[in-house]
Formats: sequence, structure tokens, C-alpha cells
Amino acid sequence: MKLLKQLTGASLAIAISAMASFTPTTAQAAGKLLKAPDPDWTGGVVTCRLIEFIIADWGYKVKRVTIPSGPAVAEALRAGDFQYACESWPTYSTTKEKFIKKWGGDGSIAYLGEVGVVGESGYYVPRYVIEGDEARGIKASAPDLKTWEDLNKYKEVFKSLETGDKGRLIACPVAAWECKDAERIAALKLDYHPVELGSEAAHWAEMQASYKRGEPFLAYTWEPHWIHAALDLVEIKLPDYSAEAWPASDWAQDITFNYANPDFVKEHPRVAQLIKNMNLTNSEQAKMIYQVDVKKRKLDEVVREWMSQNEAIWKAWVPGES
Amino acid sequence: MSAVEHQSQNTGPLGIPEKWVLPGGVALGLAVSIIIAMQMSEQTKLPAAITEKFLIIDWINVAEQWLKDNYQEATRKFAAVIEGGLEWLDEFLLFKPWVFIVLGFALPSLAFGGLRLALLSIIGVCFWGSMDMWDPAMSTLALMGMSVLLSVIFGVGLGILCSQNDTVEAIVRPVLDTMQTMPSFVYLIPAIFFFGIGGAPAILATMIYAMPPMVRLTNLGIRQVPDNTMEAAKSFGSTRLQTLYKVQIPLALPSIMLGINQTVMMALGLVVLATFIGAGGLGDEVWQALRQLNVGWSLEGGLSIVFMAIIFDRLSYAMSGKVTKPALGPGQLEFRFLPQSWDGKSAAIAVERVINAIWHVVAAGGNAFARFIGTVIYTLTRIFSADFAGRIFAWVTQHAFLVTGLALLYAVLLFDQHVTAIGDYPDALKFTLRGPVDRAVDWLVVDPTFVVITKAIRAFTYLYLLNPLVKFLTLLPWWYTIAAFGIVAWLSVGWRFAIAAMLCLFFVGAGGVWIFAMETLATIVVCVLVCVTVGVPLGVAAAYNKTFDTLLRPLLDAMQTMPAFVYLIPVLMFFGGNIVSAVIATVIYAVPPVVRLTTLGIQQLPQEINEVSTSFGSSTAQDLFKIKLPMALPSIMLGLNQAVMMALAMQVITPLIGGRGLGHQVFDALNTANTGKGLLAGTGIVLLAIILDRLSQAWSATQRKALGLD
Repeated sequence: MKLLKQLTGASLAIAISAMASFTPTTAQAAGKLLKAPDPDWTGGVVTCRLIEFIIADWGYKVKRVTIPSGPAVAEALRAGDFQYACESWPTYSTTKEKFIKKWGGDGSIAYLGEVGVVGESGYYVPRYVIEGDEARGIKASAPDLKTWEDLNKYKEVFKSLETGDKGRLIACPVAAWECKDAERIAALKLDYHPVELGSEAAHWAEMQASYKRGEPFLAYTWEPHWIHAALDLVEIKLPDYSAEAWPASDWAQDITFNYANPDFVKEHPRVAQLIKNMNLTNSEQAKMIYQVDVKKRKLDEVVREWMSQNEAIWKAWVPGES
Repeated sequence: MSAVEHQSQNTGPLGIPEKWVLPGGVALGLAVSIIIAMQMSEQTKLPAAITEKFLIIDWINVAEQWLKDNYQEATRKFAAVIEGGLEWLDEFLLFKPWVFIVLGFALPSLAFGGLRLALLSIIGVCFWGSMDMWDPAMSTLALMGMSVLLSVIFGVGLGILCSQNDTVEAIVRPVLDTMQTMPSFVYLIPAIFFFGIGGAPAILATMIYAMPPMVRLTNLGIRQVPDNTMEAAKSFGSTRLQTLYKVQIPLALPSIMLGINQTVMMALGLVVLATFIGAGGLGDEVWQALRQLNVGWSLEGGLSIVFMAIIFDRLSYAMSGKVTKPALGPGQLEFRFLPQSWDGKSAAIAVERVINAIWHVVAAGGNAFARFIGTVIYTLTRIFSADFAGRIFAWVTQHAFLVTGLALLYAVLLFDQHVTAIGDYPDALKFTLRGPVDRAVDWLVVDPTFVVITKAIRAFTYLYLLNPLVKFLTLLPWWYTIAAFGIVAWLSVGWRFAIAAMLCLFFVGAGGVWIFAMETLATIVVCVLVCVTVGVPLGVAAAYNKTFDTLLRPLLDAMQTMPAFVYLIPVLMFFGGNIVSAVIATVIYAVPPVVRLTTLGIQQLPQEINEVSTSFGSSTAQDLFKIKLPMALPSIMLGLNQAVMMALAMQVITPLIGGRGLGHQVFDALNTANTGKGLLAGTGIVLLAIILDRLSQAWSATQRKALGLD
């Protein structure tokens, strides 16, 4: 019985403390609260944050939601759970043909122009594998490795416990990205085994740990990315991209784009126009990625710093008041 | 002893001693299966005629599409209501001064658990602030508060229903089992479709996982009310409803409180995973840190979660009234802060005297304050009704702690609003673990000795355990495996279960995920093997050495409450991205019950056993291996059972660092938003869990019987 009374007391306590005033935030009151996914790679977050900080001056507040990029984001955009999303990489998008008009989709997601960042994906090895590193006492283990055609010659160098007598390719980590590493390897007749580590974090961790130990590895990576600032990597050339040969070729260049819910474009034309206007180059984005991922600085701080130093660049994207 | 001797003399047909029949049969079956597997060149799969007709993935996705077309609007509206409640709670917590939140935890802790618990609460809550995790911690609190609130409301309701009707209970029970074992990643994606992004789907997903213990313990508590109590209530002419509300539910309250305790712990576990559907909070911090390979940061987030779990666990446990205070001798001082066992040390007594004095002064102050408030209210209300005023006065003075506590909380708010803003958690109290932790990890990654050790472990586990077992299980024809499971299930549990188990396995095969299921099975077997080789010796050591036990306990607690994301990256950096890392991460999570139950099994043995064996002059080793370990076997088996269940639960997390099998399928489905694929693989995990659970429980029961413990 005593417990029951105590519980009543506790709920009373909660009720009384809850009476303390609650007022909705001003952004919410003015209908300027937006929701957008926070991309799961640093470059994307930088792009997103730029938009967010610019529109914050116009009274907008963006609620960021961390969620793995992929079909779930597309579904949420269509349903209006998200208003816009930044920096989609076309090669990795499996839903663009279904939902975006530009690719023949039904238009349930609006295309909001190019970001300016152009992505390049490919296979890389550490420089010390080819040239050695005297300072660290590493001998070149594959001195003549230049293109994919040399890979079979050096498969012994890259083999691992799990791949037996085949070489190991640290492949695209997430199946949903549709990198088609297994198909590429088969088509190019490479005697390698693609190992999918399951998450980006695992991918970079494996590369970094191997690099620190000076071990040879062959890994899928893209640019712009902080890993190139942290590790000295050399790209192994694949056959040039062509739609017919894919996936037995290099990746197409990824002209990244922003996308949004169509209603949002109508209701917030100025924000939509800003997102369309934005033009962030690889080198500018890479500067910020480096500060965040290699220098371990806080992302928001880095983006604000870049904005204060490069006003000319982002002010050019801002559309006039309508 | 005589029963055992008697058995060994029995001979079966062909003059083979009976005790050799079972091991012999198992050995023969294994030998045959190895020979068969070695003949196979391709992985086994069910005939295409079956798998091509049984397109369960497509069927599920069609059904989902239909639900989406017809009910999405309704579910979205429902979600909006929940989201509203959550946002309100979130902002409420976020905009309160930090002192208010600290007191909000410390005061109930003081009331139910005394000074020590209050101090723990203060340290825990301040830790969030010190790690600069205040805002995410508040989000997680809000998310958990809403999930637990809804779970309690629906759980108690369903529990009451179950307790009143056996048919309802029989239907609900397997549903609850499935809710608990189904990997949550399976329903995260449909949750997005139907409930949107963010808080609402996270809360509903959390409820699926965290509600079952609430239902179970409410049901149990009500059913445990003694019959004669019920008879008495009935004889006084109470209706069924009156008996329920006035007798059964109040008597079941401790059990219900224990249910809340379990629900809170499970909700906290899932709230971290819900970051995958945008729930935010502490789980998000850990996930972001993981993505940036920032081990120190993720450890900060992880420890914040551990502290939250410990506070909630101890507090709700204290509230369930299960804590008993040690009996005090006459004139003995009650120790409020230091362990009572330190009584007798003069320094300890001196400290406690001071604490006791302060305690009494504060209590007197509180009482006086409550009397004052009571008198004020009494004087005001007496004008209307003297009787009513008297009752209020009595209530207020009897609840001096509650009244004073509320007044204190309100005073903090008033001070914050009208005197000076207390503001955010002070920067001066902040500190960080990132630097040292990151340096330690960096150093270990390249340390030559450590690298040699980790490489050896990796090579051994892969070459001699995992790889052969995976090859064996995937090459062995499916019908052989199913038959073997059927025979084992028949011998250990019974023919009904054997048929059910075989049907379950056939379902998995027909759905087209046989190979993945075998990979998972192999991983689980290896994980459990490692758990035993590591866990049992640790458990024995803890049983023999009290200091070791005391040191090990908090570590085990942390291993179980720390979100797995935190140690995934260090494990991967040390052991490389591969299935061995997945095994090691699984072992970290699943080994604590093995250690705990080994220690418990040995400690629980009656004292006489010790004395008898020493009187026969047995050495410690003999004593351990010949007597204690065999006697503790049922307990260890129970630990193994739990390890198996936990290892299975971990299978959906380890794909993040290279785990394979059904868990990888579930994870893939989450990434590609393929509900059918996820549900099929998830069902596979559930079915494996049910089969392994029943088998290991049956073995444990047989052991208990053989030892005469039942």
C-alpha cells in the first residue's frame, strides 16, 4: 500500500513540475521548422550544414535526422517527413529512376540541381606498396603496379587469411551502394576476392589500421574524402567508364545533386532556389573535410569558419528576397 | 551414486553398455556427416521446385505495399500524436536548468534508495554534463520516458487481460516470445513507412521490444496472489472488478515494478539502435563517433548510457521494494554512506556520525517545513471545511519528504526564472576522455607484441574453428542437417518439438536463406565455445577469490549495458575486418552470463560438499574438477543458454564489421528498405533461437535431474 501512495506522490510530482511553462519555439510558430537527413559521410554533412547555416539567418531552423542514406531517405522525402536532402551520388542511388523526373521517374521527388561536388570512385593502394617507404622501413611490395592489368601479377601481396590464394579487395562496404565489385572482378578476370566489411566505419578503420602497420592492401575509395588527407593512396586505373561495359569498368563521374519534396519547393521557393544555386567545388569541400576528419575539429565550427572566410563564394548563391 | 552404478551395468542390444549408446550414436552421426560433407563440391540448397514457388519475400512486400496504400494515413495520424507528446517532453527536459534535472534524479533516489543511491544519481547525471552530452542525454531520456510510459500503460493492460483469461494468455505468450527475439532492425524499416522518421517510429519500435516483460510480470504478479486472499475478498462480496483493483493489482505491485525495471533496461538498449531511423540522442552520438572512428568519443557516449542504465536499474529496483536493509544490533549506528561491514573501524564510525547528524538536521528541517506548509493550507481551507482541512494537514505532514522535495524543485525553477538564470551545465565541470583513449588505441594498433597476439587469435579462430565449421555446415546436405536436428530434438525434448523444429528449419531453407542460416549457426557455435573457454575459468576464479569477484562485477555490468557500437571499432582495428572480429564482439556481449552463472553455481553449493571433500583430503584442483564443476553444471548450462540467446541478438549488429549470415541479410534489408528480405532472415534468427533455447533448457533440466537438484 505504501508503494502505491509513493507512486501517486511521484506522479503528482511529475504533474506539478510539468506545469512549468512551455512555449513553442519561434521557428515552429512561423512554420519555418524544416527536417532534413544528416548524410552519413562527412562531405555530405558539410554540404548540408552550409545550407542550414545560410537559411538560419532567414529564421529557419533545421531538425537534423541521422539516418543511413539510401531508399529510406527517398521514402521519407516522398512522404514529406523530410523537406530536402543534400548531395546524392547518382551512381549509388537506386531510387532515382523511380522517383526523379530527370531520370524518368514519377516526379514524387524534385531535383534541386547540382551541388558542384564531383565524385570519383575507384580502387586504391597505399603509395608504399608501389614505391616503398624508407623512413618507415617498408620495401615496395608491388613496384610495377600501375593499372588493373597488373593486379593478378601481385595477388600474392594482397592475399589474406580469409581469401586463401586469391588477393583481397576491401570492397565497397555496403551492398545497397550497388558497386558491383564481384561482377567487376569476374568480368575483368581478376584473381581477387571482394570482402565487404558491412559499414563505412569498418572500411576506414581497416584501411587505417593496415596503413599504420605498413601492410599492403587494395581498397575501394572515393574522392573527395578525408582518407586521402590521412593516408597517401595511389589509384589503380580501371578501364575507362562506359555504360555498356559497366560494371567491367571504372565508375562514372558522380555529378552530385540535391533533392527535395515537391511541396517544399512550392512552399519555400527561396530556400529551394538557394539549394539550386549552390556550387561547392571539390577543393573547397575537401578543405573542410580535412579540418573535421583529420584535425578532429567540430564540424559546425569548421563550416562557420569557412563561411566567414569565403563570404564571396556562398553569398553568390543567395537569391534575392522574393 | 547407486543409481549411476546401476545404469552403467545395463547393456543394450548387441551387448553394448547403454551409457555408450548415446555418445556412440552422436559420434557415428558426426563421422558419417563429415564423410558426406567431404564428398560435396557445392553448397547445399533446397530443390529449386520448392524455393521458386515459395517466394515469401515477395509475398511480404506485396502485403506491406497493400497496408501502405490503405492504412498509411491512419498510422501517420497516430504517429503525429505520439510525436507531439515526445516533442513536448523533449523540450521540457531540455529547457529546464541542469540543477533541476540533477535534483529530479537525486530526490527520488534519496527517498527510495538512501544516500548512496542519491550520490550515484548525482554523479551519473553530472557525468552527462561533464562529457558534453547533456542535450543528447535529455533526448534519450525523453524518448525512453515516452516509450516506457506507453509500454507500461499497454503492458499492464495486456497483462491484466492475460491474468484473467487463460486463452488470452496462451495466445499472447508466443507473440511476446517473438517480439523479444525478432531483431529490431527487421521492423525499423516498416516503422519508417508507417510512422515516419524520428521519434514516433522509434518509440513504437522500442515498445515492441520492451513491452513483453511488462506483460509477463503483471500477469505473473496477479496470478501469484494467494487463493485464500481472493476467497476472503469474494466472501466480503467484492465483485470481480473490485477484487482486481482493490486486492490483486495492489498485491502485484512489486512484480509490476520489477516489470518496469526490465522494460526500462530493454528500452534503453533499443533507443540506441533507433538512431538508424533518426531517433537522435546518445545513440546518435555513439553512431557518429563510430563513423568518424573516434573511439574516445564513442566511449564517452557509451559510458553516458551505462550511467543512465545503472541509475534507472538501481532506482527502479529500489522502488520495487526488494532492497532489504541489514538488521542492526542494539545501539549500532546505521551506515548511510560507507559499507556497513566497516562498522568497528573508528574512522568509519566518525564519518558516519557526522553524516547521521546532518541527516537528522535535514530531516527535522524538512518536517518543520512540511508542518509549516500544512498549517498554511490548513488555515486557508478551514474556512470551508474543518474536516477536509484536517485531512490535508495530515497528508502534508505525513509526506514531508515529498512536499519538501517538490518545494525544492519549484524553488530551483523560480530561482532560475526570477533571480539569475542557472543556464547550462558549467564548462568548468566538463572533462574529456577522448585524448587518452584515442592514444591508447593508436598505440595498440601498431604495438608489435599486441599485433602478434591478435593475429594469432584471428588465424586460429578462422582456420581451425570458423572456416571448417562453416564449410561443413554449408556443404552438408540440408536434409541431413534437418534430420540430425530432428533426432536430437526428439531425444532431448520430445517428438512434438522434433517435428516443429524440423518444420522451422525447412521453412528457413524453402525461403532461400539456408546457407545464411548455417553461417549463423556456425558463428553461434564458435561464439559459445569461446564464451565457455573464457567465461568458465573467469567465473571459477571469481568464485574462489572475493577481490577478483568485486573487480569483475562492474566490468561485466558495463559489458552488458555498453552499446556494442562502442567496442566494434577497436575490435575491428585490432583483429581486422572479418568474421573473426564479429565473433570477438559477440563474445564481449555474450560472455557475462556465463561468468556470472559459473560463479553462482559454485557459490551456491552447500557447505557440506566442501567439508566432505576436504575431509577426504582432496586437493583444490580435484575438488574443483571432480565435485564442484560437475555440481555447478546446470547453472553453467543456464549461462550457456543465455549466451546463445545474446549471441543471436548480436548477429544483427556484427555485420557492421564483417559479420555474415542471417544477421547480414537483415542488415542489408535495412539498407535497401526490403522488408520481406529482412523479415524472412529475422524469422530465421527467431526460429534458430527457439530451437537452441529449448534444446539447451532441456539439457540443463536433465543435468539437474541427474544431480538430484530438482
